[in-house]
Amino acid sequence: MKARRLTLSQRRQLAGVVFALPALALVIGLIAIPIGQAVYYSFTQWDGITTTWIGTSTWTQAFHNSDLWTALKNNAMLLLWVPIALGLPLAIAVLLHQRVAGWKIFRSIYFLPTAISWVVLGLVAERFFAYQGTLNSILHAVGLSGVTTNMLGSESTALAALGITFVFTMIGTNTMLFLTGLATLDPSLEEAARIDGAGRWRIFRHITLPHLSRFIQLAFVMTVIALFSALFSLIFVMTGGGPGYATTTMEFLIYQTGFSQGQFGTAALYGIILFLITGAVGIIQLRLIGSDK
Amino acid sequence: MAAITFDGVTKIYAGKPAVDSLSLHIDDGEFMVLVGPSGCGKTTALRMLAGLEEITSGALSIGDQVVNNVLPKDRDVAMVFQNYALYPHMSVAQNMGFALKIRGESKAMIAEKVRAAAEILRLSDYLDRRPRALSGGQRQRVAMGRAIVRSPQAFLMDEPLSNLDAKLRVEMRLEIARIQRLLGVATLYVTHDQVEAMTMGDRVAVMRDGHLQQVATPQELYDRPANDFVAGFIGSPPMNLLTTRVSHGADVTLDILGQTISVPTRYAAAFSLPASGEVTFGIRPEDIVIATEGLRARVERCEALGAETLLHLSVNGPGASQHLVAKTGPRTSIVAGDDLSVTFALEHAHFFDVASGATLRAAS
Repeated sequence: MKARRLTLSQRRQLAGVVFALPALALVIGLIAIPIGQAVYYSFTQWDGITTTWIGTSTWTQAFHNSDLWTALKNNAMLLLWVPIALGLPLAIAVLLHQRVAGWKIFRSIYFLPTAISWVVLGLVAERFFAYQGTLNSILHAVGLSGVTTNMLGSESTALAALGITFVFTMIGTNTMLFLTGLATLDPSLEEAARIDGAGRWRIFRHITLPHLSRFIQLAFVMTVIALFSALFSLIFVMTGGGPGYATTTMEFLIYQTGFSQGQFGTAALYGIILFLITGAVGIIQLRLIGSDK
Repeated sequence: MAAITFDGVTKIYAGKPAVDSLSLHIDDGEFMVLVGPSGCGKTTALRMLAGLEEITSGALSIGDQVVNNVLPKDRDVAMVFQNYALYPHMSVAQNMGFALKIRGESKAMIAEKVRAAAEILRLSDYLDRRPRALSGGQRQRVAMGRAIVRSPQAFLMDEPLSNLDAKLRVEMRLEIARIQRLLGVATLYVTHDQVEAMTMGDRVAVMRDGHLQQVATPQELYDRPANDFVAGFIGSPPMNLLTTRVSHGADVTLDILGQTISVPTRYAAAFSLPASGEVTFGIRPEDIVIATEGLRARVERCEALGAETLLHLSVNGPGASQHLVAKTGPRTSIVAGDDLSVTFALEHAHFFDVASGATLRAAS
């Protein structure tokens, strides 16, 4: 008996499924299963070897743990640096887009941090902010010895030093993103606006900025996600989460709880909280992007 | 509203003049078309008038004011771009009202002006739409609307119809000409399409390699081209230009690859023909007549266009040939490969200097 031949449409669908399988396997193996495991471990006491089911007690205890709230507060405080991590690259990109003298060299310089490991950037920042580091040397040199401080050693300033370093690490990526956006801006729109009577600021406000809105939204999502999930290496080399818990973020708290204190169940729970926060930010942002008809 | 004057305006790019000593006056209310092939400097001239390009030398005036150093926003001109340059994130109404908003006019005034312009342009039903939700013709009209709501001193249009299909282009050609006459604003319209130039302009300025070749009414350009470039550029198909050897007898005799034609003195008298030597003989395709006797030519190709037929002819001589296009009626029995004879309506003949290309028409 002759086998039934598939229609063209069915063959296309089949090809689609076949091509999607490897990616699907990776997503399931590397993302879905670990998330499921993390959820499971959050209901257990797990020291890395033995697992004991303890139900929801980890969850109830965790929310009474002041370290969690400190870490969440630190994350929230670091969010205040996001506008700067977007605004500064935006200003740089707009300037570079004007083809100012030496713009190609400046473009490479601004992009450089992106090509360097954050561990290295953290070490450089640590030397910069240290009590006998570059920042204080500069302040001494310009006669401002009175304002020198040990930024990384003080609870009130360490988080700011981390925020500044974070902004620095994001400048390259965000500047490139905005430059890409500006490159897609039809120059005749700006010319039309000039003829319509608009000056530089109004062109930026009414033409450039609306055009860049999608790029700004994307940069915002990337920056916030980096803030929640990529600061570990900076914190590790700059402050180790201190002084006290002054620079401990959720991400760092997960590491400390799991690997320093051996409470993997609690660490898994913190991981889920962090996942939900970043997920919520991403979803809200995607909704905003999607609603911009 | 105001007149526009280019007085010896030059623009140099990388040491090479893109526009060379352009002198052109556009009267208040006049529709001037600047036409020429790609790279002739017509768009550069328009952009200098808009203030988007700096002027290397010369003086450019709008009304009584020299505007060489005046910013685009202060020139009070409106421009329609080739790609329309509509603001994609704004509605049709916002696009049209943007310049008025920048000018600080009240919302009520803006709404009223936009409504009036939309009515002229038949855009009233589309005011809330974004440009991407409009057809090419509608976008083009919005670009026009953005220009007319401002009541500017001058309209500048940079090939505004080139992105439209052929049918829509004909419609919009009429539409733009209608609106321009309705508003009576001095207009500089740039195009490479000589049909647009001929059908829209009160006068047409022809440019080539940065130089102005001729400024005249469309009919004048067609009937009395200043040089062989204008003769070859204006008209579709263009004028036939044949290299001939001239000699004088009872009539003027032209030798084309060994064949001769006589030009009666009454027609030749309008030209300052040399006593002997080569001249370029120009004749329009519609001024070639198929006859039983005359210049012998071979039909290389027939193009039936419906209402007329174009015959591509070759006049062959020893070791050389010259190409001619003749226009004849529809449904002809002539086919490629036929040998035939043609005569010319010599009262419409043109003569140009071979070296300079300038017309040999005697100054009237």
